[in-house]
Amino acid sequence: MIVTTPSLRWLTLACGVALLTSSGCSRWIEMTTPPGAGDERIPQVIAQDEQVPLILDRIRTTRNGSPQNSSAETEQRVLRSLADIGLFSYLTSANTAIPASREKTVRARLLFDEAIDPHAGGAAFKGIVIGASMYLLTPLLPLEYEYGAHLTLELERWDGQVKQYESRSSGMARYHLFGATPIMIDELKGLVTETCLTDLARQIVNDTIFFNANSAPLGEPGIRTVSVKPRTPSTPPVIPVSTVAPTEP
Amino acid sequence: MKPALFAAPITFIVFLLCLWVTCGAEDTVPHVTVGTQEISLSAGYLLPHRLTDQHSTKQSGPAVMPSWAMVLTDPVGWRWLRGQLMLGAEIVYIQFQEPELTHGVGFTPKIKWMFEGTGRLRPYVEFAGGPFYTDLGGRIPEESARFNFILTAGGGLSWFFTPQWSFNVGYRFHHISNAGTRYPNLGLNSSLPFGGFSFYF
Repeated sequence: MIVTTPSLRWLTLACGVALLTSSGCSRWIEMTTPPGAGDERIPQVIAQDEQVPLILDRIRTTRNGSPQNSSAETEQRVLRSLADIGLFSYLTSANTAIPASREKTVRARLLFDEAIDPHAGGAAFKGIVIGASMYLLTPLLPLEYEYGAHLTLELERWDGQVKQYESRSSGMARYHLFGATPIMIDELKGLVTETCLTDLARQIVNDTIFFNANSAPLGEPGIRTVSVKPRTPSTPPVIPVSTVAPTEP
Repeated sequence: MKPALFAAPITFIVFLLCLWVTCGAEDTVPHVTVGTQEISLSAGYLLPHRLTDQHSTKQSGPAVMPSWAMVLTDPVGWRWLRGQLMLGAEIVYIQFQEPELTHGVGFTPKIKWMFEGTGRLRPYVEFAGGPFYTDLGGRIPEESARFNFILTAGGGLSWFFTPQWSFNVGYRFHHISNAGTRYPNLGLNSSLPFGGFSFYF
């Protein structure tokens, strides 16, 4: 086949356009802490009659330091992740079940601290440049969205002993303009959260003996008390106050 | 003015009021995040502005503007300035009915700042610019070339009657000129009040 100069030119142009278009639609996620980067999980064995139930008392969520509503989806995800360990006889939320009295139970409290950096300034600047270039620079200017999570899980044994586990992970979604979609952000958050939960599970598995039903006797029977108090923020917020001097009539 | 001229807008307003009543307030707050895309169709009527004594043409006519945009940021900013940046592109078609029946079509990248507003009611400002071809060029004293550029700046109000659909009204100022590639190049200036719908996905 003889390729004439004009057809070669059109072929090159078509390839160039295809390359630009496809590279302008790409997106990828970079994990700072790759999944499974921690120590290998050491398999533990627990007899079924030594398993105790776990009750998830509460999940507190903060985003960039400010409190947020915890979603039922997060709760389900945490419970499912802990259930996958196989350490507990069953798992439930304090909102959905009342534990039987005088039963050995492990109570869980989770602090879910999210850090989001949407790189808004960079996105705005690159957006203006991309628009001004009639979208020709789209493949050359990737945009970024960063998400990090810090999970702190407190597990309180039936005798009042508390163990605290922490895990943190972060990742960055890089995308070209035409590859952006809300699903991409969900994917990033899902990966980061999963990495944290996997790490927490690994740490809990290493403490299997601690949560064994025979590891400690049930506390003395009596009335269990809880302290009732107003919530106080960990760091008091600074509120600027300005006063106006009263004017004489 | 003929009563028929009032009929269409009044019917439209009644239609919107019905939508407002039928749509619940809670479930119509849009969830617009990074990567959310908007496609919209707007239409309006171009009205002339003769800014100097040398301008004589009273260009006017309907304009249609299909557009696409993407949300680049989560809500940022303080107080009433808080909003989201969007980047998009628009095709603008204008049918000049005055001074003679001619046409113009252009392609403009656009940048849009959508304020958070009240959730369902979101004001915005936008700026766009790009090439514009019109056969009005050469037939009027202000413009000698058919190949021109169009610059647009304006603002509007989006009212979300579902989480994904919004009704938009707004105003734009249009400037059409050839960037000095040919003379005369006085340029055409116009106002464009418009209305339309957007779909977010």
